[in-house]
Amino acid sequence: MRLYLAVTAWQSWSVLKRHLTVYLRNWHTAALPPILEPVILLLVFGVGLGSSIPDFDWKGRNVSYLSYLAPGILAYTAFMTAFFQALFAAYIRMHYQKTWEGQLTTQVRLEHVVWGEALWAAALGLAYCVIVFFVIAAFTLSGWLALHWQGLAIILPLLFLAGVAFAALGLLFTAIVPTIDHMNIPFYLIIMPLGFASNTYFPLESDNLLAQAWLLINPLHHTAEGIRLLLLSNQLSYHLPAAVVLFGLMILILLPVDLRLLRRRVLGEA
Amino acid sequence: MHANKKGLDSIRLEAHGLVKHFASRRVVDKVDLHCHAGEILGMLGANGAGKTTILRMCYGFLQPDAGKIRIDGIDRLDDPDGANRLIGVCTQDDTFDTDFSVRENLIGFGNYFRPRPSHIEQRVEQLLERFDLARHADAKPETLSGGYRRRLMVARALVHQPKVLFLDEPTTGLDPQARMSVWELVDDLRREGLGIVLTTHYMDEAERLSDNLLVLKEGKVITSGGPRTVLGDLVGEHVVILDANIPEADAVRQWLVMEGLKRPTKILNSWQIPLDGSGLAGFSATFGQLRFEVRPPNLDDLFLQLTDKRS
Repeated sequence: MRLYLAVTAWQSWSVLKRHLTVYLRNWHTAALPPILEPVILLLVFGVGLGSSIPDFDWKGRNVSYLSYLAPGILAYTAFMTAFFQALFAAYIRMHYQKTWEGQLTTQVRLEHVVWGEALWAAALGLAYCVIVFFVIAAFTLSGWLALHWQGLAIILPLLFLAGVAFAALGLLFTAIVPTIDHMNIPFYLIIMPLGFASNTYFPLESDNLLAQAWLLINPLHHTAEGIRLLLLSNQLSYHLPAAVVLFGLMILILLPVDLRLLRRRVLGEA
Repeated sequence: MHANKKGLDSIRLEAHGLVKHFASRRVVDKVDLHCHAGEILGMLGANGAGKTTILRMCYGFLQPDAGKIRIDGIDRLDDPDGANRLIGVCTQDDTFDTDFSVRENLIGFGNYFRPRPSHIEQRVEQLLERFDLARHADAKPETLSGGYRRRLMVARALVHQPKVLFLDEPTTGLDPQARMSVWELVDDLRREGLGIVLTTHYMDEAERLSDNLLVLKEGKVITSGGPRTVLGDLVGEHVVILDANIPEADAVRQWLVMEGLKRPTKILNSWQIPLDGSGLAGFSATFGQLRFEVRPPNLDDLFLQLTDKRS
């Protein structure tokens, strides 16, 4: 319980504040990828590739590939940003920069460092998603997209929660990979397949029981579909509570495991 | 020695019966620590003796399996935040925040304490001056020389005005001049009333700086006290240095066995034989015809003895 309560501790927010300070210092270069990536993806895949793909039926309505893709990029951005931060950036701070060890010689404990990393990863994921929203809004204004914006109040907290959950998953690998080179293993064998096989970039519909089971337990799939239904139809769906429950379970289960493994790795606890 | 400052009210660090296991191996075995205000407690021991594990328990990184740690009267287990507010830690490795300058490192570190250090910016400027870091204040820590990095590490550990300072091998890798300047800083801090716990591999450092020494072997305290007392207990009063290749070497070895004395430590081609007063008298009477030197023991002798697998 102490671990979960640590989310409210000032130490966790001090760790987050430190990461924010560093990020804001480099904002002019750091902001380029989150702005340009969705623009490029929407232009290349949505407009370019999408022009070769005829409108198709999705949940009983006719949609263009660009309309299908835009909400998927939002879910993918929250997922990938948070995971990437918790895996690569956190590992660099832990292993190479020894930032964690310095923080741990203060009133900051490891549970605060873990929460600080997870909150920061989620906050950055959310910030990038907001940038994607602006890009999508520009596409909407230019007439390429027709979206409903009323669901933003639901979508933004959901994306933040997704960020915390995927950061918890990233920290799991940070705790166990022997070297930074080994991060290719979870990244290409788990994360990239998960990122794409989740109705983010293409619809994965199948009568196969395994595929259906995969989609049922996959929180990224529920996030992408829930956001898509809100943005395209202004429709609340079961995907949204399903995503919240699955993210909640991920956080509840993964964070104690992360902490246990990181105690061993960082503090030398047996 | 600063024994005059000792008293129950001045005790800064108090640990009783510390025990720690890793897997089934007992790496710290019923260790007691005491450090008063204005006192330096030196911890000595070979690699694997348990020094780092003890320090990590004092920092709160590891929980002891048994025993209590009190920092200025605060039980570390009951109030970890309160205990950590009172300690400053200078780890063996540099752990600055490389994304920030020297000054920002000091200010940023203060953000990790509650209550916040008062007048933090003023305090940081004082530390920059005192540790001769002012001209490097806007530089990144990794651009500093080894000696200045250590200064920054110590300065950072003092930002929040702790009552106990832990220095884990603070001068490892420094040139002699940089080492001495760190010694002077540490000595000044002692005089200001800070309780300091020091680990080092440099025997001269331990001997010069420590008011009390704790000697560890395989997780146990084998002796403690002032440096001279510890040397007397473990090494003896004198060290005889003798050529190991002389024809009488076997006779010397047999004499030592017969007298129940410690085996000599061999360094290159010479033996170093620790002896007390009566042992030296006996040695001189038996081997008066040999050429040998006699010198007072130092902590190097102790360290060699501790690391000698035969002892």
